[in-house]
Amino acid sequence: MRQGRLVATGVMLAFCLFALWQSLLLSLTDRLGPGPGFFPFWLAVIGAVLAIALLVSIWREAPSPANDDTRILPHGSGGRRWLAIVLLLAAVTLAMDFIGFRLAMLIFNAALVVALGDRRWWMIALFAAAGSFGVHYVFTTWLDVLLPDGRIWS
Amino acid sequence: MEALNHLLAGFAAALTVKYLLFALAGCVLGTLIGVLPGLGPAAGTAILIPLTFSLDPTGAIIMLSAIYYGAMYGGTITSVLINVPGEAASVVTCIDGYQMALQGRAGTALAIAAIGSFVGGTLATVALVAVATPLATLALKFGPVEFFALMVAGLCLVVGLAGKNMLAALLMTVIGLLLAMIGVDPVRGAPRFGFGVEELYDGIGFVPVVMGLFGVAELLLAAEKRQTHMIQADLNKWMPTREERRASAGAIGRGTVIGFVLGLIPGVGAIVPTFMAYVLEKRVSRTPERFGKGAIEGVASAETANNAYANAAMVPLLALGIPSSPTIAVLMGAFIINGITPGPFLFQERPELVWTVIASFFVGNALLLVLNLPLVGLWAKLLKIPFSYLCAGVLIFCVIGSYGLKQSLFDVWVMLGFGIIGYLLRKLDFPIAPAILALILGPMMEKSLRTTLEMSGGSFAIFLDRPAALVLLAVPVIVIGALVFRPGTFSKLRESDTD
Repeated sequence: MRQGRLVATGVMLAFCLFALWQSLLLSLTDRLGPGPGFFPFWLAVIGAVLAIALLVSIWREAPSPANDDTRILPHGSGGRRWLAIVLLLAAVTLAMDFIGFRLAMLIFNAALVVALGDRRWWMIALFAAAGSFGVHYVFTTWLDVLLPDGRIWS
Repeated sequence: MEALNHLLAGFAAALTVKYLLFALAGCVLGTLIGVLPGLGPAAGTAILIPLTFSLDPTGAIIMLSAIYYGAMYGGTITSVLINVPGEAASVVTCIDGYQMALQGRAGTALAIAAIGSFVGGTLATVALVAVATPLATLALKFGPVEFFALMVAGLCLVVGLAGKNMLAALLMTVIGLLLAMIGVDPVRGAPRFGFGVEELYDGIGFVPVVMGLFGVAELLLAAEKRQTHMIQADLNKWMPTREERRASAGAIGRGTVIGFVLGLIPGVGAIVPTFMAYVLEKRVSRTPERFGKGAIEGVASAETANNAYANAAMVPLLALGIPSSPTIAVLMGAFIINGITPGPFLFQERPELVWTVIASFFVGNALLLVLNLPLVGLWAKLLKIPFSYLCAGVLIFCVIGSYGLKQSLFDVWVMLGFGIIGYLLRKLDFPIAPAILALILGPMMEKSLRTTLEMSGGSFAIFLDRPAALVLLAVPVIVIGALVFRPGTFSKLRESDTD
């Protein structure tokens, strides 16, 4: 936990320093007053100072065994479920562009429900169809929300 | 008197079939989301935003507001039946609500929660009507100097009440503000931090970020946990006895006052009023030993304070344009998506909208009571939905919500990225709420500060010349100072509050 907090704060410090560098590439002031870089510059400075203060504060914390045993990354069967959600969500985002919302969501729904442990095939098929073709119909026809059709169909 | 006339006109609009249906749909969906463990009101309101894309602004806000307080009530059901709070504010309800369920009084616990929520919500809305107009009129005198000070005060209060994590909360606020800087400079219109990515010149979308940080992150956290079991409760017997009604009346009254007053203060969060109302009830009770063992006053006070808080939290949003919690920030995002900027000018420029929305709060509270008393058994059945289907269903809404606003798959990636970031931040005990509030207030803060400095020729002394700004900047300094030097129960409460 302590190590994880140190890494996370370090990443935030890097983000603030990057923002500081980028804001210096913009004008901090112009003839009318503060320029586009003014606000992000000062925010990045404050953020970097806070990140350093937090790093020091975490560093000085007394290590507690209970705290250090807390696992940050998912593991075990919970970890497999976690990974299934992330990978399938990434896959559906990629696939939607090519095969469209309906087909991508049909596969996503079925694969996710199976990955999370359900094996009732009729239920999975029904849910996958309703959650893809059904949802597409409701959103595009009734709610006027545009959803990707997929490049291969156009 | 003018407010009353506006309110009556608001009722005339809110009671039309169209808006009644939107409020009803919002209450049903909100309760449904609140019932599902792991999905709080912020996530619920965020993932249901796509349902309002095609509605007119008034209808969209009515529906999302109804989703918000529906979700606040829905959390009670899981607290009572499975001892798992559907959202942070229902933590206190678990204490006596679950004990009542174990004693076979689950129906009564849920009924008194519904009645308390109705009374608390309705009375808080009456107070909102009385307070909002004078506050908005006062805020109309504010210039960019005062608005900047107001936004700083709002953010500082949220940070100040983050307890032991104050330094982390401050850093998260700055990170949220920096993320808000991506896109076009709000004063000069110059593109910033786009790195050649076309989508970034529109800025980081609020909806995908919120859906990621709340919706996806909560599902990822839930995926790791074990499932819980619902107790078999007889929900047909729900009418409280005369003694129970008498015992609850005082608790409901006191809960309303506490919930409303604390709802006006940005950053307090829903758990503080619920806990304070519970503690007060225990103090004034002649039999405090019953608390924790199924005392109905414990459920009544916490649930009333919760709903009074939810309605009172609308005051800073509508009158000042300041969101006081992540859920209210999501609602503010919905206002902005619909081309409406909440704040004092709203009362002048769009009185028909603001008063219809306020009238719909009364209607929504009544609808919630009607829905929740007889249908509590139906809501309880939702707890049997397997996690696999719940997870897939929520993710469908997250994908549509992220994509639908700008028809951009880039926003779906943003949602996924922020989902993983949100998961890690929760695990590492970094508060997310300040970053969300900062993300939505960032562009307005920058615009106010830069306009202020243009007015003063670059001098910060202008803040000393304006008494209102000085007072607004002094308040958070005093509050934070007091909390730093006397960190007590209040800070401890905030540690467990995610709303």
